[in-house]
Amino acid sequence: MALVDVIDVTKEYRSGEETIRPLDGVSLAIDHGEFVSLMGASGSGKSTLLNLIAGIDHVSSGSIVVDGTDIGALSRSQLADWRAQHIGYIFQTHNLIPVLTAYENVELPLLLLPMSAAERRKRVEIALGAVDLLDRALHYPRQMSGGQEQRVGIARAIVANPTIVVADEPTGSLDDETSEQILVLLERVNRELGMTLLLVTHDATAGKRADRKIRLERGKLSESGVRIQPYRAQA
Amino acid sequence: MFRFAPYVLKGMWRHRIRTLLTVSGTSVALLVFCFVGSVQQGLRAITLGEDSGRTLVVFQENRFCPQSSRLPEDYETVVAQIEGVQDVLPIKVFTNNCRASLDAVVFQGVPCDELAKWRELALMEGSWSEFQSRDNGAVVGSAVAQRRRLKVGDRFTIGDVSVNVAAIGESPAAAENNVIYTHLDFLQRARGANDVGTVTQFEVHLREAADPERIAGAIDAAFKSGPVATSTRTKGMFQADTLADLAELIGFVYWLGYACVGLVLSLVATTTVMAVQDRIKEHAVLQTLGVRPARVFRLVVAESVMLSALGGVIGVLASYVLLAFTQMSVATEGVTIAFRPSLGLVTQGLFVAILVGVLAGVAPAIQAARAAIVPALRTV
Repeated sequence: MALVDVIDVTKEYRSGEETIRPLDGVSLAIDHGEFVSLMGASGSGKSTLLNLIAGIDHVSSGSIVVDGTDIGALSRSQLADWRAQHIGYIFQTHNLIPVLTAYENVELPLLLLPMSAAERRKRVEIALGAVDLLDRALHYPRQMSGGQEQRVGIARAIVANPTIVVADEPTGSLDDETSEQILVLLERVNRELGMTLLLVTHDATAGKRADRKIRLERGKLSESGVRIQPYRAQA
Repeated sequence: MFRFAPYVLKGMWRHRIRTLLTVSGTSVALLVFCFVGSVQQGLRAITLGEDSGRTLVVFQENRFCPQSSRLPEDYETVVAQIEGVQDVLPIKVFTNNCRASLDAVVFQGVPCDELAKWRELALMEGSWSEFQSRDNGAVVGSAVAQRRRLKVGDRFTIGDVSVNVAAIGESPAAAENNVIYTHLDFLQRARGANDVGTVTQFEVHLREAADPERIAGAIDAAFKSGPVATSTRTKGMFQADTLADLAELIGFVYWLGYACVGLVLSLVATTTVMAVQDRIKEHAVLQTLGVRPARVFRLVVAESVMLSALGGVIGVLASYVLLAFTQMSVATEGVTIAFRPSLGLVTQGLFVAILVGVLAGVAPAIQAARAAIVPALRTV
């Protein structure tokens, strides 16, 4: 059984008199441990699909089942709890909380889980170590570069050991060199930590790093890709 | 909830100027609220106090100013014989200002051996023997002593009256701390021979089962055809009548206290709305990470309560210190209302501050909790 099953999903919303349909009958499946890139032109519906899978938006029709849970059937509060346990979200613009240090930003998702302070500390240090930012733990976002902020964003996304990590154009606001570092880091998240990764990008180079490329055009799936056998971390 | 305390506190610190302005506005409003409350409390204490219904005051009929009430001192004997009367205390009152004043000095001349019996004065300095042994000795209420910076041994003169401070006393009845007690005969003589043999009023203490209304009627009836007719009321009623004009003003000022609460509500609500609008995206990020809408609601309310409570604590403490150290009072016609801080007022002020914080935070908190995540993430 796939980890994520997107079944005939349509998303519509109204803008004045007009009905806009960013997604139109999309179906796809993502397996455990896969690294999938979701590509397409601006306005093709890739971010909308990612937001639906991450449970921060609702489908108009169809259903999305993640790890056996039909997330459309959950209430707002249940969905929030579900996201805390299952989703690691990496934003394009980092979206760190400006008043919190790197350490506190990474710790945020853990505050929502039943966990001792010692366990939280251990996990935050591991996550910050994984993105090579332990020495910046007490720095505030304004004291860091864009690349460092995005690495903190990645640490925040993986710290709770989520079922799936979703990244919405994580290199969109970075220069080429920093983008490369971030992509390498995301690859490591998938290969070494074995986390399922869904990457939204319009950058073909970034997309090539994935096990599978999915392409959207005007809200419809145009390519669901051939799956390359993913590397699985040894237990 | 406390796990997110650093986030709430740092959020307030992020906009420290705004926080500071809101807290200072709240504290000033709460200071005024507590100040007005203390005036109201002072008025209640003297009109509804423990002995206000069980003690009668006999005054000259149709006289309102203590300077113009002149009752023959020997009325005491007649009053004491009326059934139900336990004791009669003749009092001569002199004040430097009969009109409403924030710094009126009120002298009460009473028989020196009766003072300790009918006034709960604990001497902080000096002694009863010193008071009794000196003809012009005075027991000065602690509030007057503090306001006028008097200490034992000082000579104190107001108008024609000049006394030596023999002791400084503290009473649980705040109004009594604003009075200077002298020997009755001293105050009768102090302003010339005209006052000898007369008193301003009699304070009549009743036996337990006595009916105040009946006795008041009996007293007035006894002197109806005498040289000076009397008007007898319970102490509470007498003080309420004396303070009637002032009480009306105080009643009006009390609305000012509620206006202050309204001001705090609007101030804190405005700040919280601004904080929420600044953080639409931030709250969306928190919800994306898994923070429940209900927790977002609580975080916003917590910030609002913190702002209001912080201002409340500062304002309430400032009013407490101000009232405790200035010992302010207002007197009219020789009756004093003391503005005293109290634990009840502190509790009331803090409760109001917290309640206002909750109320001010509810609407913006609902707005923050209900915001759709995806559009909020797109805001700049």
